Amino acid sequence: MSTIMHHQMLCGFIEKVVNALLSMNLSSSASLVALEQKTLVVSLAELNFPLSLTVSDKQLLVTCITERSDCQIDTSLATLKTLKEEQQLTELIKQDKLNIVGDVKVAQQFADVFQQLDIDWQSEIASYIGDVPTYKLGRFHQWLLAKVTFAKQQVSADASEWLLHEKRVLVSNGELQQLYGQIQQAQQAIQQIEQRISQLDDAINASHQESLS
Amino acid sequence: MSEEKQPVNEQNASSTHFGYQTVDTAVKESKVAGVFHSVAQQYDVMNDLMSFGIHRLWKRFTIDASGVRPGNNVLDLAGGTGDLTAKFSKLVGREGRVVLADINSSMLNVGRDKLRDKGLVQNIDYVQANAEYLPFEDNTFDIITIAFGLRNVTHKDRALRSMYRVLKPGGRLLVLEFSKPEHEIINKAYDFYSFNLLPKMGELVAKDGDSYQYLAESIRMHPDQETLKQMMDDAGFEQTSYKNLTDGIVALHKGFKF
Ligand SMILES: C[S@@+](CC[C@H](N)C(=O)[O-])C[C@H]1O[C@@H](n2cnc3c(N)ncnc32)[C@H](O)[C@@H]1O
Repeated sequence: MSTIMHHQMLCGFIEKVVNALLSMNLSSSASLVALEQKTLVVSLAELNFPLSLTVSDKQLLVTCITERSDCQIDTSLATLKTLKEEQQLTELIKQDKLNIVGDVKVAQQFADVFQQLDIDWQSEIASYIGDVPTYKLGRFHQWLLAKVTFAKQQVSADASEWLLHEKRVLVSNGELQQLYGQIQQAQQAIQQIEQRISQLDDAINASHQESLS
Repeated sequence: MSEEKQPVNEQNASSTHFGYQTVDTAVKESKVAGVFHSVAQQYDVMNDLMSFGIHRLWKRFTIDASGVRPGNNVLDLAGGTGDLTAKFSKLVGREGRVVLADINSSMLNVGRDKLRDKGLVQNIDYVQANAEYLPFEDNTFDIITIAFGLRNVTHKDRALRSMYRVLKPGGRLLVLEFSKPEHEIINKAYDFYSFNLLPKMGELVAKDGDSYQYLAESIRMHPDQETLKQMMDDAGFEQTSYKNLTDGIVALHKGFKF
């Protein structure tokens, strides 16, 4: 699959996951209203293409459109996580770890929304199905949460490392060319076999003719 | 590998292709209409099934290439069930407008119902129109897209000129369409898939093998990348270019009006 398709797949994936989380997290609603039709473009050092995040009708649209933006950030995945604290922001800019163009408030509002995605499952479910079943579910949830937290720690321990690793898993152009080469060889082999079969066919026909005459 | 039916190439001014058949130009429109009336209800399911969901990625790329901004006027031509319209509607916001235009009332109805179910009502207009004679004023749209529609149009050159007319200066046209795979091996595999599996899937799922046979044939009869680019140039578009997707099974052509 080409790089273009990988980019589109990643955008689609992020969009799906974030919107699923947003739809469960009612508290992010107000922040989303403030961000209606606002766009943040994020260029991460770990990715070779920009991600454009637009809020529309309390949902997030993820594209690669860079022609429009209220704020643009150039940074790395690790730095992005600290964007919340304003004083640290100035520090990061000074350290050349982060470059912001446009409305900084928009970047902070987006950061707020992402922070809020830390969902309190128990109260979410309680508001839907009442408290008693929630108690039982809660125990299961705690067990699940422990697992998820552990996994999360593992991932965030070095997210950049993970991304680099993923990058390595993608098929490179060279590898693709090699595959095409192998396919071509296989094609030639098939052609040779086809020729051989038709030669044999001719020979059989000829001997058949001879035996008839 | 099935090569049962070969394209019939001889054509005169009053005849055109309907898949591999040569038919009277007047007949093509009604035959195409028949195909889309017939597939409308199952169109989205079949689209996902036949393309293994990849059409969503091709469409996402089209949206990216459009560079759409809030407030833009967008025409999603031959928009059918409105996949692109849905995305554009969210991106142009309340100040913008999206027109979903299609020649086929069944496709438009399925599209309208789907978009309404998604709550998209604010900024979308539905227009039944033939791409060859667009019922809009000159210089109306910032962006025009036509996704998997152009190959069904009888006079493609006329349709491209019509799109050029209604596009604003500075606006861009995006044509997403099946094209010619870059590698022969992919071409062969794709041929096998299109002529052997696709009509069978159409028969099984949509109970309509003939329509899907037409789809496969119309894909083969559609101009390749360079020919379509030239057609866009001839219609007046500038800075025309194309990007192959999935090895050229599909290509996205782009052209500007200045
Ligand atoms: C394969 S569907 C594509 C629908 C949609 N754009 C998508 O990508 O899912 C092709 C559409 O082109 C429409 N169409 C065919 N000929 C047309 C014409 N001359 N003018 C406008 N629409 C046309 C059909 O009615 C059909 O809805």
